[in-house]
Amino acid sequence: MTAALQVSGLVKRFGGLVATNDLSFSLQEGESLGLIGPNGAGKTTVFSQIMGELRQNSGTIELFGQEISGLSTPQRIRAGVSRTYQIPRPFGDMSVAENIRVGLMPDDIWRMIVSRPDTDREKELALSVGFSETDLGRSPAELAMGDLRKLEMARTMATAPRVMLLDEVFAGLTVGEIAQISDLIQSMRKDGMTFLIVSHDLPALEPLIDRAIAIERGTMIAEGSFSDVMNDTAVQASYLGGV
Amino acid sequence: MGLRWFHYVLWGGLISGMFLLPQVVSNGTLRTMIFANYLAIFAISWDVLSGRTGYVSFGHPFLIGIGAYTTAILTKRFDVPVEISIPVAVVVTMIAGLLVLLPALRIRGSYFALVTLAFMELLYQLVQVIRPDLTGGTRGMSGIQTLTRGAANGYYLSTALMLSVAVSMWLLMKTRIGTALAAIGMNEESVRGSGLSTTRLKAFAFLTSALIAGLGGAFYVHYLGSLAPRALFDINFLFTIIVAALLGGTSTIIGPMIGAFFMTFLLEYLRPVLPGAERYFVYGAIALLLYMYQPKGLVELAQRGFQRLRKGGLA
Amino acid sequence: MLQILIQGLLLSGLYALIAMGFTLIFSIGRVLNLAYGAYLMVGGYMYFWVSQTLGMPKLMGVAVAALLGVLMGVLKYRLIVKTLKGDHVAVEISTLILAVVIQAGIVLVFGDSSKILLPIVPGVINVAGASVTYNILIATLISWAILLGLYAFVRLTHTGRAMQAVSMDAKGAAISGIDPDRINLITWGISGALGALGGVFFASYTQLSPSMWVAPLIISVAVVIVGGIGSIIGTLVVAHIVGFLEVIVVATLAPELRGVFTMLLIIGVLVTRPQGLFGREEL
Repeated sequence: MTAALQVSGLVKRFGGLVATNDLSFSLQEGESLGLIGPNGAGKTTVFSQIMGELRQNSGTIELFGQEISGLSTPQRIRAGVSRTYQIPRPFGDMSVAENIRVGLMPDDIWRMIVSRPDTDREKELALSVGFSETDLGRSPAELAMGDLRKLEMARTMATAPRVMLLDEVFAGLTVGEIAQISDLIQSMRKDGMTFLIVSHDLPALEPLIDRAIAIERGTMIAEGSFSDVMNDTAVQASYLGGV
Repeated sequence: MGLRWFHYVLWGGLISGMFLLPQVVSNGTLRTMIFANYLAIFAISWDVLSGRTGYVSFGHPFLIGIGAYTTAILTKRFDVPVEISIPVAVVVTMIAGLLVLLPALRIRGSYFALVTLAFMELLYQLVQVIRPDLTGGTRGMSGIQTLTRGAANGYYLSTALMLSVAVSMWLLMKTRIGTALAAIGMNEESVRGSGLSTTRLKAFAFLTSALIAGLGGAFYVHYLGSLAPRALFDINFLFTIIVAALLGGTSTIIGPMIGAFFMTFLLEYLRPVLPGAERYFVYGAIALLLYMYQPKGLVELAQRGFQRLRKGGLA
Repeated sequence: MLQILIQGLLLSGLYALIAMGFTLIFSIGRVLNLAYGAYLMVGGYMYFWVSQTLGMPKLMGVAVAALLGVLMGVLKYRLIVKTLKGDHVAVEISTLILAVVIQAGIVLVFGDSSKILLPIVPGVINVAGASVTYNILIATLISWAILLGLYAFVRLTHTGRAMQAVSMDAKGAAISGIDPDRINLITWGISGALGALGGVFFASYTQLSPSMWVAPLIISVAVVIVGGIGSIIGTLVVAHIVGFLEVIVVATLAPELRGVFTMLLIIGVLVTRPQGLFGREEL
């Protein structure tokens, strides 16, 4: 079976610094993989390379068997992979509904002009991440961090990804909000979505993933079930060293 | 598209009001209105690009000038009829718009503004030395064919042009393309992260802006009947366009229109008090203060005032 | 050939002085001060008014112009740049508007017609077959002296080093106890003085007119863009590229094309190497 996402021999250097060091992992369709490691381990750099925001120095990235390294970010999103950002980046002067609308747009200027926005789908996405109907007209400036993350999730989901990369989805959230987002991820997993999740909140991360990999300074140091990885001596050493 | 009854009423009222105007006002006022109409076209053109996407163009006179020079040279030097020369001018301006697009693919913000300013100055210098037999060199050209005679006819033509540009841009910007372009202005990376090719969107914005600039420039030169490089590729001209769009309110269509009329009439009313270029002193100072303290423009100010009035009325 | 060399050196020295004030602001605050050309103009007119209209000593004219430059720089930082807090595009648009206001102000006070500034130092000297006015020679020498002084100031004094720190990393500088606001204010003041002084010499090289601010602004822009984010050495080097380019074009092609290659240089560098030819360097 072809993997949903197959990363092989990924290397990224910034000058003398090796940010990603010969990293390989794969994700089966419907699987959820946790990517853990101390601050500065290079987790976000891996995301950026998968999305094409950074180009790797060597290595391949395959999405459902298709090599995507030569594609631009929008093309990769069309191919079925999408990510959220650690710091949500909404369109400030637009309502929640319009933010989601941008994610739903076809990448075709003619169709943008002649066909109407699908307001039902906008609402459906907003409700699915936990917004209420009255939230649709609100502006990002009025939203709390939890709501901004929900908006980021909804806009990412709007691009109809088959693989979602979530970057620190729980940062800055209250306990209630963490539960809400977790429920959302769980229900999407049931529907067969494939996830790669980065989080520092390990207790919240544990129930959301099937497997985990740990990296330190861009190098994979452990791979396996969540408890195996957490009990790995190298991982424990890196966390103690990193803190 | 979300058209509501009051949209029809407001546009209908504006259009009929503007076409009935020659019945009630003097020819002098009409001539001022003609300038306001062309300024509104240029300001809308600037706004479609810069107001929406945040790529601030300091070189719009470059585009307007290409439209104006192309049709002027074709009609005067080669006796091409205006029915052909104006469309050709628009196409040439759009090609020039692609030229300005090139730097926008790599740079934004201050650098982009500067490169467009350099384009304008470049054309200003080139037009004076390259083939002055065609361009008229430093002195420019006069005796260019005019399309209308008399203030009223000039007014009708410019009004029709301005309103068709305004209505079509308003309709266009109400569709999702308007949302997408505005999204680029707010966060270009997030637009890419939503799976949209920003290069294509930017190209669309540049071409649309150039189309309007070329159209406006071509008709404008056939109204004036003459053109001079220093009047066209001038920072004061650029300043008037940008300030009109900013004062009215960017990313709206009505904003640049209101701004253009406000500016033109303000200058006109200052004329008896301050003859000559000194008007720009008062005018610039007003523009600067408004821009610094009301960056969203007059439309926003009016909207807020209207809301307060309504709340006050209910209470 | 020798003539081109001499003229190129003289013009480039003047351009380096003009561009320096603009570079400083860009380096410290990352903002482009589009009213910079207007400083030059006000400097030139102020000198004209003090020394030629009032008939006071020339040195007095230069001093008054420089002081006015400091005042304008400081006021602009306090009233506009600080109010708009780091919104670069807003600063550029408002400084462009300000430049037009200043231009109109000059017309209001001095009228529309251009004025000839008497040479600050009269006389002509013959260097290797090329006649060189003392005026431009002195301008170039003073320009070099000011640039060397500035270099020493930035390298050797406490304030200068604080300026370097802010230019490299404003936040880091603030953490280590430097008040970026004070440094910005000082820089805007110095920039204003440099602009006004540059304006006195530039005006004596060309002439005074209410639209004289555009050309030096374009030159400054070219120097900053081509040189990358402002370093004093980079500014000096690029000022010579721009100056020599202009002299060579005037001598070999046509005088009207003098600015064309400067513009092409700006466009070319921005499109191909947005970080500038020399990349990011410290002050």
